[in-house]
Amino acid sequence: METFDSLALGFSVAFRPDVLFYAFLGCLVGTLVGMLPGIGPLAGISILLPVTFGLDATKAVVLLAGIYYGSQYGGSTTSILLRIPGEASSVMTCIDGHAMAQRGRAGAALAIAAVASFIAGTLSVIALTFVAPPLARLALKFGPPEYTALLIMGLVFLAYMSTTSLVRTLLMAAIGLLLGCIGIDTMSGHFRYAFDLKELGDGIGIVPVAVGLFGLGEILSTVVKGVPEKVASPRFSELMPTRKEWRESIAPILRGSGLGFLVGIVPGSAHIISSFLSYGLERRLSRTPEAFGHGAVAGVAGPEAANNAASTGAFVPMLALGLPTGPVTAVLMAALLIHGVPAGPTLVTDHPTVFWGFIASMYVGNLMLLALNLPFVGLFVAVLRIPYVYLYPLIVMFCILGVYEVSHSVVDVWIMLIMGVVGYLLRKFDFDPAPLVLGLVIAPTLELSLRQSLVMSGGDWLIFFRRPIAATLIAISVGLLLVSAASLLAKQRSAA
Amino acid sequence: MILRRDHVAGGVVVAVAAGVLALSGDLPIGSLASPGPGLLPILLAGLVLVLGAAVLLQAGSSPPFGDLQWPDLPHAARIAALIAVASLAYERLGFIVTMAGVLAILLYGVERRPVVPVLAISLGVPIGAYLLLSKLLKSPLPIGILGF
Repeated sequence: METFDSLALGFSVAFRPDVLFYAFLGCLVGTLVGMLPGIGPLAGISILLPVTFGLDATKAVVLLAGIYYGSQYGGSTTSILLRIPGEASSVMTCIDGHAMAQRGRAGAALAIAAVASFIAGTLSVIALTFVAPPLARLALKFGPPEYTALLIMGLVFLAYMSTTSLVRTLLMAAIGLLLGCIGIDTMSGHFRYAFDLKELGDGIGIVPVAVGLFGLGEILSTVVKGVPEKVASPRFSELMPTRKEWRESIAPILRGSGLGFLVGIVPGSAHIISSFLSYGLERRLSRTPEAFGHGAVAGVAGPEAANNAASTGAFVPMLALGLPTGPVTAVLMAALLIHGVPAGPTLVTDHPTVFWGFIASMYVGNLMLLALNLPFVGLFVAVLRIPYVYLYPLIVMFCILGVYEVSHSVVDVWIMLIMGVVGYLLRKFDFDPAPLVLGLVIAPTLELSLRQSLVMSGGDWLIFFRRPIAATLIAISVGLLLVSAASLLAKQRSAA
Repeated sequence: MILRRDHVAGGVVVAVAAGVLALSGDLPIGSLASPGPGLLPILLAGLVLVLGAAVLLQAGSSPPFGDLQWPDLPHAARIAALIAVASLAYERLGFIVTMAGVLAILLYGVERRPVVPVLAISLGVPIGAYLLLSKLLKSPLPIGILGF
């Protein structure tokens, strides 16, 4: 009953006209961000973060989260019509979605993708509603050793789930953690690596780093690519799938929703991995696996459901534990913190209107996205016809503007520029910049909880093994590292 | 020996980590019972060094450095240089003038777009953004020596 009462409180917030407006704006921008190749949800959220400074925490997080889950809807449009993933998680939709479009079923593919996204989004918000609050209550029992172990486990999980190598992911996360040590040490007041720049006293901000690595870095890397001029635009009347297509999509949507939500909870690029897993699962379960790659309906429905469910699942550890599972949730956590609301177990008890208003807005947001993505698909397709050479200068402008507005400091613009160049080079050298952002965000909490743990134990590092929850989390981390090391050795042996 | 991509990447990481360790000399490490501000950064710099060395050691399986393609480098360098100049000018010339310049240089100078849309975008977008942010959302933007 308590959950339903709280949800009612959330809906009373979410249905306020101003909150509805920001939810709609987030969904609209998210759809556009998802559609346009070269701008991912992280860049979109980072660039628009400063716009939220004048808003309260609820409206800010509703707007920014809307961009995140909205981008999962929008990504499918470009994948189906152009065979270009507008967003990384839409890669799998390119295969069968575009094949359907080539067979004249573009409208049906878009409708299935939108409905799959809606059902998965709604089901996973229902799961989030019931999973996050009890998890937050459990997390209230966590002390510094448990938090240290949890954050270490988060990083190890990220490395384990990474699409690049374990060493490269851990390296990026460690560099992020190291960058997070810049500035005044909160426990001693000591200046670290600040080079007499007072602007670095508060450390390196998440916004210049995220905008630099993902916004500017992407522009520097992809600027030579153009957008094809000819884009098919299906009419509204062509959007209705056949009865057979509906039948073929129901089970994959439900499986994708469950799989995506579970994968979403685990740290890593969940929304990307979930769509890959769902595609593989559907092909394995299919009676006609040979149809995959040639326009299989399940190849669109499953991955699209999975990536949406995963993007919602990622909010569980963020809201309940204060643990970012990826760079997007890391930036969202930073956004909440800027508004004086720390994400984590105290969010439900100390800021119930923010927590429940946010969850309720996701129910409404999913409805808005369904309404946006089906009837207005022609309008969004028109955006795809804008040549990229006109778009990227505007993005550059908003990058500079957005980063400067965080603390009105040109130093942040320089940090963004440096990070943009670093992001460009990381892509060239096949490093994923996402763990770096994650490391940067969790660095202050990790350092504080590690040092508090050691102080409270009188310097006995075995404290992490004496407390059952911390010991379990550390054991999981060690287990994952051993599994990764074993698979790496097996690979090297088979290669030899 | 062929110089490979990860030889360069791992080498740079090891050098940076060694540099950070050298810079950490004056940071107190403290003890385990009372950890100082230098403990975690030094541990992390050590970890980065070890992981960088691991990348270096596994470099044999990475592609040759000479095979890396840089066709986008001149374009990327132009954009980066322009942002550097814009950073220097931003607080001196103000938002509208700096951004109009950035857009005009990118659209006309770099992308060779026709003059009319370049002028419309370079003037219209910064003025529109200024009015929206500065006047409507009350988010102050740098006004510069020209007063806007």
